[in-house]
Amino acid sequence: MKEHAKKMNKFLPNLIALCLSSTVMANTDWNKIEADAKGQTVYFNAWGGGENINAYIDWAAVQAKKKYGVTVKHVKVTDASGIVKRIKTEVDAGRTTEGSVDLLWVNGENFKALKQAKLLYGPWAESLPNWRYVDLKKPVRVDFSEPTDGLEMPWGTAQLTFIANQTTVKNPPRSAQALLAFAKANAGQVSYPKPPDFHGTTFLKQLLLELAPDAKALQQAVSPESFRKASAPLWAYLDQLHPVLWRKGSSFPKSAADMNRMLADGELKLSLTFNPNEAANLIATQQLPKTAYSFGFSKGTIGNVHFLAIPSNAKAQAGAQVFANFLLSPEAQAKKADLTVWGDPSVLALEKIPVQYRQSMQMTAPGVLSEKVPTLAEPHSSWVAALEAEWLKRYGAK
Amino acid sequence: MMVARWASKGSTLLAIGLVSVVFLPVLPGLVRMGFDFFQISHWLAIWQDTQTIPALMATLGSTLISGVLALALSLSIAIEKYPSNAWRSIVKRLPILLAMPHAAFAIGFAFLFAPAGWLARAIAPLMAWHSPPDWLTVQDPYGLSLGVALAIKESFFLLWVMMNLLGERHIAQQITVARSLGYQRQQIWRSIILPQILPRMMWPFAAVLAYSLSVVDMALILGPTTPPTFAVLAWQWLSDPYPQLQAQGGVAALILLMALLIFGGLLRGVAWVYQRSTVDFDGVRLPNRVSIMSWLYQLGAGISFSLMILILIWSLAQSWFFPALWPDELSVKAWLNADFTPFKTSLWLGLATSLIALVMVLIWLEWGPQRNNAWLYAPLILPVIPLSAAQYFALLYLHLDGTVIGLIWSHLLWVLPYVLLSLVGAYRQFDPRLMLTAQALGYPRWQACLCIKWPLLMRQILSAFALGFAVSIAQYLPTLFAGAGRFSTVTTEAIALSSGGNRRIMAIQAVLLMLLPMLAFALAAIVSHWQAKHRRGLR
Repeated sequence: MKEHAKKMNKFLPNLIALCLSSTVMANTDWNKIEADAKGQTVYFNAWGGGENINAYIDWAAVQAKKKYGVTVKHVKVTDASGIVKRIKTEVDAGRTTEGSVDLLWVNGENFKALKQAKLLYGPWAESLPNWRYVDLKKPVRVDFSEPTDGLEMPWGTAQLTFIANQTTVKNPPRSAQALLAFAKANAGQVSYPKPPDFHGTTFLKQLLLELAPDAKALQQAVSPESFRKASAPLWAYLDQLHPVLWRKGSSFPKSAADMNRMLADGELKLSLTFNPNEAANLIATQQLPKTAYSFGFSKGTIGNVHFLAIPSNAKAQAGAQVFANFLLSPEAQAKKADLTVWGDPSVLALEKIPVQYRQSMQMTAPGVLSEKVPTLAEPHSSWVAALEAEWLKRYGAK
Repeated sequence: MMVARWASKGSTLLAIGLVSVVFLPVLPGLVRMGFDFFQISHWLAIWQDTQTIPALMATLGSTLISGVLALALSLSIAIEKYPSNAWRSIVKRLPILLAMPHAAFAIGFAFLFAPAGWLARAIAPLMAWHSPPDWLTVQDPYGLSLGVALAIKESFFLLWVMMNLLGERHIAQQITVARSLGYQRQQIWRSIILPQILPRMMWPFAAVLAYSLSVVDMALILGPTTPPTFAVLAWQWLSDPYPQLQAQGGVAALILLMALLIFGGLLRGVAWVYQRSTVDFDGVRLPNRVSIMSWLYQLGAGISFSLMILILIWSLAQSWFFPALWPDELSVKAWLNADFTPFKTSLWLGLATSLIALVMVLIWLEWGPQRNNAWLYAPLILPVIPLSAAQYFALLYLHLDGTVIGLIWSHLLWVLPYVLLSLVGAYRQFDPRLMLTAQALGYPRWQACLCIKWPLLMRQILSAFALGFAVSIAQYLPTLFAGAGRFSTVTTEAIALSSGGNRRIMAIQAVLLMLLPMLAFALAAIVSHWQAKHRRGLR
């Protein structure tokens, strides 16, 4: 009898593993991950320039501590590319397990760099319990034309959106050429953040998409030849635009957030953001006047998904997955979409999540992008470095 | 006897060992940068970067403005007012102006002078402006605004140095005698006072130049952006983990050091010419003139006080857009939701660092070597960037980057010299007979220190502690480098927020930043007053 029980003890898990559905297996795996995660400290490296975002991460950290016993420390990053290089340096120096980054907010060229150098843990994203809520109709499995392969988890969606003030701008420009005309008519009152600031680079990519003779070439990896051909109209455009910019293009706002402030003071007539709900959030926190509104270009603006990834040398890989899974939960995603919290659009499918979380994902408020703006795909991630380097060469020291 | 001698030798070794831990690990990093310095490829890369030349020009320009103007401002007010009642009240206001951290000063400066700042708002109705004017008052491409802001801030430091030099009684007497002979103030200073105090102001002046050359926190707020100042550029390269760019940043940091040496050489030259051109009294009594510069100093001090108030108002303002002169509504709402983590980090970091520095300095002063100590002050007159980068290399090597120990250690390099500088004078002047008596009565030396010497020096010790605390609070680059971004203090937080859009949140951090050093100095004053109350001789 005892013998038999022993055999059963060995047999049963095998049987379960073999016969039962994969979800059960996933569950046991997940239970182990949750158990490992308990007591771990996750260093979450995420851009720290928006205090609504920081406050949201603080909230999530408290929840993670309460629910899973995971301590989350938000490392406020100014530029994710610096973190990519730090992970590289660490691994090159032989630090392959005790890395300083556990979870990273990332997309585009930084993701590609990490993936190519095999510096990412995983695949893990699609085996998270909360993956079942994800809206697979959104481009959650490609990142700047690069397959994610489960190495990063979609966290939110974004679309380049412009902001203006109703009292000073009645008819906003809705194309690159209209923007140039607008800037000429309002000399000294238009600008954009200095690349390689994320928003500044996105603005360049938006112009590139509109001005390039053959937009399809932008979906391929960049080559000196294709770069020269595609970007020539952009530089011609900027050569015209810069003399009529704020301070004649001799200096630039520090960030999009800085531009929002300048818009509020009337120093600039346009601002930009990568979050269609940001203007609403800023109105609610009295950082923009109530007359501010959002708009986009009629042929569309750049949109993408932003992700979370775990470096291969992360110390708290289990903790990072547990925290990421929480961030993907309907509860956390609904809170994130709440305009009074952050207003970052969710990656979950509305029809898949429990009813009580749907409301905050459909909120509207003054300032929100109310028109339908087509989403343009990001150029291939290799274009970013080329664009930034060439911009710095041409306009970095004026 | 033997035992006592060994104990004393051991204590000396301990003192040297402790201080070496702070200083020595920096050297390998500097040597590493030194190797890069002689590689032509890095120089070529720096030379070919189009940002280099304009960045260097902005740095040298702002440094020159800052040094010359700060000296002119502080000298002119001293010439005009010393000694007098007005001088005493000027000096009385000095500690608050000194205690204001540079980063907070820069934030306030921008609040006041930026195109959408308070000054433009004040004159907007007169000029019928509906949107902010196209002013280049902050972030101008030449670094002028940065230079002027630095000059105002550093003029307080130079005036404080001067105050200590002038405090020696015979100088006041010389002025009184010369005045009674009918000579006018400028004449007296030119012929008698300046030849005495200028040579002794060389090192503090060099410290001002070094600070201005390598300042990053103020330059990020007030300096040019396309390109930034050379110090900011060097910092950006250094924090770029591509080894090639990092090495390039190290070379750039050493270029700043070279610039300081060149400035130092020039300074010596000017001093040489000056010493040969001092004019003696020639019997001619000139009529009194009022110099504009002294009025400018008062303006600078006035601006600094209004900055503090402006920062406080911004931290309470609800919506406050151009051209409103006053916020629509004041509220403590933002304060209630404020993030106090940086405040707490600054607090424990400052306390730990200054306490460790104080213990080290006391051991050093009591048991360390009495001579050849000047090298300990090197961090005060060297640019921060190369030192901080060298520290970072050492920490990376030891796997201590991003740790509490690494962070405290990195701050000590600046906190320790300041604590030492502030304590050394009083310590060396301490009446040796008291210690002799105590030891003759059978106290071991350490016990005599604990019971007699240190309590008697408590006021100076406390103010040195407060100074060390203030120095730690203000550290920007060391916190970023050694902390690996994991620790945000009020300084790093305020600077990080300065590139964002929310002035209210930034102002809150700036208020906390101003508050911490002031609290420390106030607390030091209160405690030493309270302690002296029960000791008749200290009253």
